[in-house]
Amino acid sequence: MAAESMSKKQGSAMVVGGGISGMRAALDLAETGYHVTLIEEASHIGGVVSQLDHQFPTDGCGICKMLPHADAEHVLQQCVRRGLSHENVTICLQTRVMSVSGEPGNFTVTLQQHPNPVDPERCIGCGLCIPVCPVDVADPFNAGKAACKAIGPPTPHMAAGPYRIDTEACTQCGKCREVCPTNAIRLPEADRKSFTILVVDDEQIIRDSLSEWLGEEGGFSVITAESGEKALEVLEKKPVDLMLIDIKMPGMDGITLLEKALEIREQMAVMMITAYATVDTAVSAMKRGAADYLVKPFDPEELLPKIAAMYHELTLPPGPEIRVGAIVIAGGTDEYNPASGKNPFGYKIIEDVVTGPAFERMLSSVGPTGGRLVRLSDQRPLRRIAWILCVGSRDVQAEADYCSGVCCMYSLKQARLAQKAARQQGAKIETVLYYMDMRTFGKSGQQYRDAAEAEGAVCRRSRVHSIVSEETSGDLCIRSADTSGQIREDRYDLAVLATGQRPSAKVTELAEMLGIASDPRGFINTREFSLTQTSGNGVLAAGSCTGRKDISDAVICGSSAAFHASRLLHAGGGNLLEQSAPAESAADIFREPPRVFTAVCGCSGAVSGIFDPETFSGKCCGDPSLYSVETADWLCTDEGLADLAENIRQSGANRVVIGACRPLCVPEKKKALARAVSLLPELIEIVDLRSQVPAASEEIPEQQKADTRETMNFRLEMAISRVKLADPAFAPNIATGQSVLVVGGGIAGMTAALGVADHGYGAYLVERADRLGGNLNWLHQTIEGDDIARLAEQTRSRVENHPMITIYTNTQVTETRGTGGAFRSTLQTGDEAAFSVEHGAAILATGGGQAETEAFGRGTDARIITQQELESRIRENNLDPEQINSMCMILCAGTRQPPKNYCSRICCATALKHALHVKEKNPEAGVYVLYRDMMAYGFLEAWFTRARKAGVIFIAYTPETAPEVSAQQDAVRITAMEPVLQREVEISADLLVLATGIEPAECGALARSFGADTDAHGFLREAEPKWQPVESLAPGVYACGIGLRPASIAESVASAEAAAQQAVIRLGRNHQPAPKNIARVRHSLCSLCQSCIAACAYGARKYDPESRMIIVDPEACRGCGACASACPNFAAYLEGFAPGRMLSMLAAAADH
Amino acid sequence: MEEQFDPVIVAFVCNWCTYTASDLAGTSRLGYPKNIRLIRVMCTGMVDTQYIFKAFLEGVDGVLVSGCHPGDCHYINGNFKARRRMKLLKTILPQFGIAENRLRLTWIGASDGIAFAETMQRLVDQIRELGPNPARLQNVI
Repeated sequence: MAAESMSKKQGSAMVVGGGISGMRAALDLAETGYHVTLIEEASHIGGVVSQLDHQFPTDGCGICKMLPHADAEHVLQQCVRRGLSHENVTICLQTRVMSVSGEPGNFTVTLQQHPNPVDPERCIGCGLCIPVCPVDVADPFNAGKAACKAIGPPTPHMAAGPYRIDTEACTQCGKCREVCPTNAIRLPEADRKSFTILVVDDEQIIRDSLSEWLGEEGGFSVITAESGEKALEVLEKKPVDLMLIDIKMPGMDGITLLEKALEIREQMAVMMITAYATVDTAVSAMKRGAADYLVKPFDPEELLPKIAAMYHELTLPPGPEIRVGAIVIAGGTDEYNPASGKNPFGYKIIEDVVTGPAFERMLSSVGPTGGRLVRLSDQRPLRRIAWILCVGSRDVQAEADYCSGVCCMYSLKQARLAQKAARQQGAKIETVLYYMDMRTFGKSGQQYRDAAEAEGAVCRRSRVHSIVSEETSGDLCIRSADTSGQIREDRYDLAVLATGQRPSAKVTELAEMLGIASDPRGFINTREFSLTQTSGNGVLAAGSCTGRKDISDAVICGSSAAFHASRLLHAGGGNLLEQSAPAESAADIFREPPRVFTAVCGCSGAVSGIFDPETFSGKCCGDPSLYSVETADWLCTDEGLADLAENIRQSGANRVVIGACRPLCVPEKKKALARAVSLLPELIEIVDLRSQVPAASEEIPEQQKADTRETMNFRLEMAISRVKLADPAFAPNIATGQSVLVVGGGIAGMTAALGVADHGYGAYLVERADRLGGNLNWLHQTIEGDDIARLAEQTRSRVENHPMITIYTNTQVTETRGTGGAFRSTLQTGDEAAFSVEHGAAILATGGGQAETEAFGRGTDARIITQQELESRIRENNLDPEQINSMCMILCAGTRQPPKNYCSRICCATALKHALHVKEKNPEAGVYVLYRDMMAYGFLEAWFTRARKAGVIFIAYTPETAPEVSAQQDAVRITAMEPVLQREVEISADLLVLATGIEPAECGALARSFGADTDAHGFLREAEPKWQPVESLAPGVYACGIGLRPASIAESVASAEAAAQQAVIRLGRNHQPAPKNIARVRHSLCSLCQSCIAACAYGARKYDPESRMIIVDPEACRGCGACASACPNFAAYLEGFAPGRMLSMLAAAADH
Repeated sequence: MEEQFDPVIVAFVCNWCTYTASDLAGTSRLGYPKNIRLIRVMCTGMVDTQYIFKAFLEGVDGVLVSGCHPGDCHYINGNFKARRRMKLLKTILPQFGIAENRLRLTWIGASDGIAFAETMQRLVDQIRELGPNPARLQNVI
């Protein structure tokens, strides 16, 4: 039943924001089978991460790992920073949402697309336009630290184009249009001359200077009027597009004129001109219909772009309208600008004070310093760098009573990268982090910090007072105070402000348009126990627009939002899918000798002097497979490609090599051409010659021409030798079991089971205990006051009443056989006879519990309890805060140090919750919290502030100064070093509460039986901690909940939803062809040495004793080819890279 | 003037990192020597030693294997496999009369277009100094 519904399932969604979570949501929905429109306001996708060359924890870039690998044919397998291409995703760049109407399941969205004067179909990225452009712009991609031209690639990674024009900076000089070899640039026809601006000001000098700036430099038509009355006369006679009105004028004042003018021309845009003193009046004018205001005296640098922006706004054509079933907002956040704060730390005044994102660019090899560690101001090598954490975060004065959650980790990462760069140069570098709490709350965050400190990063718990630049040396003097108030001054070459995040005004605007709730700060509100469901039905939020997320959290939230959207579309049945073209049958050419048709795009004459078809055929005259060599023209256009297809069809060739440039290299074009000539796409090779061929107008010397000719020739020869031996396999369809086994009946397991069941698939929910609920059964309420017992009750009843879910309590999985798509698991309930179930995927939600410890006197006294015991007492009303004189908590008891060297994420929040519970009920009680680093990440920070205000005493300790506990008759005595007083203090407590953290349930054997694995701490191991956080390396096996990583309830729910969505995608692939680009075995050559099995990192190869053959699991194989090189007999090979083709290419390459 | 020796160098580059870098170098107009003949592979871990031998026997003057930085491999650990293999191969190559420094292994990340162009130029200069592959002049095997 589910199988059929999958192929018929229809619907489409819109994702707003092309950052990580937006891309993840779009890819997940696309892989589920929906059409997705991905809207991005910038000119490239990737969001913040496209600017990060290095990502924690490997310090490399792994963004390509988020690409779906099972269906490599649907999505372009390349570096994602060069762009994304998926069959089911339409990407609209430089686009925003103008209006939304309709209801969940059927929204109508009006978009507005900023026209790109560069035609993306035609731009070949030749780069000729860049040197001729006279306009220099501070490159936003490099955080403004380097200059770029008004025309050029949107990011350095996309040098191949299509280019974009910064229309606000562009002066429309037309020089780029003159040199463009493919006529890709179309500057807007409706030029500025036909845009009339009426300037009304009583001062002659203002009128004249505005006329000059706007008229002569800006190119607009400008009319002036010296008074309100005159202006109204003009308005009666002439059409005016924009009016600039001075507020203070004798006679009719600006406000009156504004009102009268708008009576005459309702739709006209008006900007007010105001002196600084009357800005308030200008702001009030905006309420009466003015669009914006300009402050006198004008800065011509800012004035013209502002007017140009207004002009573009007013002249934008109305955009397309799309219909979607669900909307995912993934609009991200804005970066905090330290210059706007009360303490800017010299930012924008001292050049060597930079923000974290700017330093990230300085570490990049395509950044402003080319990756060399030098100062921007004087190119001096960087030897001393300081990071100031929490700039603009955790700062009540900056109206940011929240933690940005990522800055600690990125500062540590940057310090490590700086150390690494210095080591490579053989230099020593000083890296110091000034911090309040080092919030390393991720799964491997603590280990990462330990490694950073071992490599030389110094973490100094201090507050920075100021940064002063010394005039002669340019050194930065940083004045700071440590916890005891000791003041010190240190000198540095560079200071990095680890700036936090601010809610994006655009997201807030979008939230208002959609009518969904956002908090007073401007972040989108989510429902209780959910990270992605907003107050509006059918509208989901992913990524940091609901509060700061790191990459793995953003990926999980993206999937979770996709899950909710998918569930909604599934429930509605949907009817909005854009019909894709029916698959056409390709000709069977495998019994024919290869006939290779070769065509080289002439690139409007650029290639004619270099490439000569006849010489090339002569060079390859020994090759009988070379059928014909031609030059073609305008292959970047549809007409050119259609002509070529016609030629190929008529020639009767059965393989094609095309030498062209970027526009042809996208998979859609190749596929379209393949369809047009009835060949399989694998029989067409497209060689990107562009990077080798200088463009048309360049005068190139003969020697260079000869070199280019040689390069082109051998590249084409290599492609021919490769394609002539192409032998694409027809992949068989794979059947997939249509149900999922969920192991673990806690909140994660229940959510995951509901998730797949709501999509129409069966779920077997296995729970070891006699009751569903897991840790929810003892938890009381969250710090926000959300009722956990109610959540448990509601979820349990939904699970129990769902027709697609079968529950097995008191049951364990004893054995599993099979692999992705077809598992058979044996279940055992109590002492009853074991039975087996078949399933297509498995979700491991094995959970965990509170860890036990022997530290701090635990087990020696009944007054020394754990957080769980305290929570249970509160839940059962066994704790009377009135009776407590003094309560002490010790956090990180036995965690964040070997052997349990990880942060459990939830204990700090729990401590705050309990401390506030006692303190607010009994303000007289002494509540002491001994902590190492308060992991009050995100909005938890506000609770930390509240606890401090309520009088809870926080005392920081380090593992070296760990408190000592002795249980006495009258009280538990805790002796601790108090860092503020710099002396030992003794606390006599009625109750000592230890935060012992989370310990995952033992699940190693279970994981291994599914082909998955656990890490050193017993948590389930992700396929990739950042980019595939809920997948395991085994196909069809997913993980979620606290068995995967420590998480709060809402975070567990999100990971469960993400895992459910991955399982739904997996099950939806039933009866689909197996992935094509995978490893294969030529059994006749195989000696069964099994070297390939050892070489496979994915466990995709197995020896089948029955058939005495090596079997490749097509689902598990990712197509890396490690097996092929391990095989001594050429028996193992990778599809597309068979030894014959490789050797044939090598021969062509070696040909002199 | 004596004509300069023009070496032929075959570079096995991984799809995810060095191939992307080469593309970036090309499209950024950084230009790299025509002596480099790129063969795109999915991962350096799939570069069979037999291909490298074959290349040398075909008369290629230098072979480069280049992939993602350690820890960055798209396929978990393919680049480590390549590193192990190349180290072994370098000890064997001299037995066939091929200097071990004709074989190079480098890590060039996807955004390192500049590093790619520089590395290629350096490599060509080094191989040029080594002179032609002896296999070109005589039959080794």
